[in-house]
Amino acid sequence: MSFDVVLRSIFSAAFLASVLRISTPLILPALGGLITDLSGAVNIALEGIMLTSAFTGVVVSAYSGSVFLGVLAGVASGVLISFVLGWFHLHLETNIILAGIAINILATGGTIFLLYVLTGDKGNSQSLASGRVPNINIPLIQDIPFLGRVISGQHIFVWLAFILTWLVSIYLYRTPWGTHLRAVGENPQAAETMGINVKRTRMIALLISGFLASFGGMTMSMAYLTIFQREMTAGRGFIALAAVYLGGRKPWGTLLAAILFGFADALSHQLGSLRIPSQLVQTIPYIVTILALVIYNLREQAVKRERRRKFQEQHMQSMASVE
Amino acid sequence: MIRKLYMKPAVREFLRILLAITISLTLGFIITLLVSEDPVGAYKAFLTGPVSRINRTGEWIKEAITLTLLGLSVALVFKAELFSMGAEGQMLLGALVSGTISLFVPLPAILRIPLALFAAMLVGFLFGALPGYLKAHLNANEIVSTLMLNAIALRVYDYFLIFHIKPEGAGYNASDFFPKEGVLPTFIPNVPFLAEAYELFSRRANITIMLYIAIAVVVLVWYLMYRTPFGYELRMLGANMKFARYGGINTKKTVILTFAISGAVAGLAGAHLGMGIHEKLIANITIGIAFEGIVVALLARNNPVAVPFAALAYGYLRAGADIMERSSDVSREMVLVIQAIIILLVTAERVLPIVQQRVNNMRENTKAEAIEEGGQNVI
Repeated sequence: MSFDVVLRSIFSAAFLASVLRISTPLILPALGGLITDLSGAVNIALEGIMLTSAFTGVVVSAYSGSVFLGVLAGVASGVLISFVLGWFHLHLETNIILAGIAINILATGGTIFLLYVLTGDKGNSQSLASGRVPNINIPLIQDIPFLGRVISGQHIFVWLAFILTWLVSIYLYRTPWGTHLRAVGENPQAAETMGINVKRTRMIALLISGFLASFGGMTMSMAYLTIFQREMTAGRGFIALAAVYLGGRKPWGTLLAAILFGFADALSHQLGSLRIPSQLVQTIPYIVTILALVIYNLREQAVKRERRRKFQEQHMQSMASVE
Repeated sequence: MIRKLYMKPAVREFLRILLAITISLTLGFIITLLVSEDPVGAYKAFLTGPVSRINRTGEWIKEAITLTLLGLSVALVFKAELFSMGAEGQMLLGALVSGTISLFVPLPAILRIPLALFAAMLVGFLFGALPGYLKAHLNANEIVSTLMLNAIALRVYDYFLIFHIKPEGAGYNASDFFPKEGVLPTFIPNVPFLAEAYELFSRRANITIMLYIAIAVVVLVWYLMYRTPFGYELRMLGANMKFARYGGINTKKTVILTFAISGAVAGLAGAHLGMGIHEKLIANITIGIAFEGIVVALLARNNPVAVPFAALAYGYLRAGADIMERSSDVSREMVLVIQAIIILLVTAERVLPIVQQRVNNMRENTKAEAIEEGGQNVI
């Protein structure tokens, strides 16, 4: 395949639609990662939460015959796992990274173990007739020439990813709870003195992040695919964390960063046909993330230096005026 | 007397770990009871499997060697109160570089093997220094940077394996078996008076000279940590970062070096995966072991001398799980559940204090009751 064919296929509606589909299981957990990160805790367990919800959603929808119940159970399991994490971290004072690693191991082992018990298969849930969440076609949008074909007919979780990004940005920047949450993340002691309950705020952040990540997990098993496969999240929980930093710790930035990861992933498949090794293309987003991390921290340092300089200047002025 | 002994932190740590292991093994048995037709047989296979046959013991010891190196790598970073999840990437590159040398550099074994091991450590050192540099100079979150570097290393490893190392036209993603000059020799030398033992071990349980290297690394890391200025700085950093800086320690240099040395040890663990265990390079060579160093370091409480024992204990669980899966109807993933519970219980700072407080409360209550009832002072 020649270069321009690949180029044309990249800018096709079908390709962009697939980017959205691939990005969704990154956007949702990334939003969860953002909220915990802003509350001052790193949620390594996103991976485990996704895996648990992906599994629970498939199993419950298969046994109950209801996709809705499956999704409900998936969300509940994700929130429950986050609660366990939060309880160990906040109540028993476990290091959150170590507790997160434990949760990930528990989720990996637990899902495969239960899958084997339920189906006798350790690979996937093919023998279970699990459900798929519906697609959404909106008549008017469907008819927009190019955009219509990109966003119309996507499954419900793609829409949810965008809606939740919007809700998260309102929550974080337009409500008192969001302000409290960010205050706790910025300076827990100061927040405590202001009468904010630090532990409760962090617990709420963890529960919300479990809620968001659980949709990411179910996107994998009830929309993108319709079966559960062992370890099917394949590191997406970690990429989601990276998207938070690449996105400058802002909701819409995080969404864009997650889409960039999805784009690189989709692109690497396309470039495979140009005989460019997909492995090397796939490293690009990670390298970009490290660069973003560098730039972010350089900027932070510059801001701090600027603040210090201003403070000194003011100090000097006030000294001068006293004299 | 008992009270005094209990007060010693080392004893208390040991008790806590013992308690964690007992609780999680009991939970594991309950799970086995629920799912297995023959729970006793399955659990027996799990608990006695690794010592039931010499080749199984060999598997266990080899696992423990990898875990020892990984545990040391993590313990170094933890001791400085830093965090690294980068062992996976460092191992992958270590395995890649040492494997390439083992396969393609036409040198006799006596040169090829040391060169391969050295190269693995060097690449681990450099790849470890990178997140260290980012942390020291830019205060970049080391968890995120090491995770990103893992993802990059994984793709670089796959790229070289698939496009350059695997034999032309092979339908699988693995290299050829390493030539004899590139495989670590058995830990018992092939000399006449040890011939029988050599035969037994080289055929049935191929434990390699990595056993000695791992022990040497344990001693080296201990020496580095407790007997050198660098080790002092590292421990100061762990005790109190600000204090260390005011005390005149070049914290940036120490952070970078800590990460780098930790990377070198993890690189060596990667070399062991290729040259000691699989004897070839395979896709996903680090699967299932990447984060295990963290658990080992935790169980050893970051004490390098305790690391091999923690690795033996932890490796025993892992090896036992494999055998249980092969000889019963319980899948090996049950041990992951046990592992997770061990980590949670060992790291929960307040589990033991809470238990202790409950016990104290109970004692107080019974004392109070006794006093109320009899009026005698019962202590």
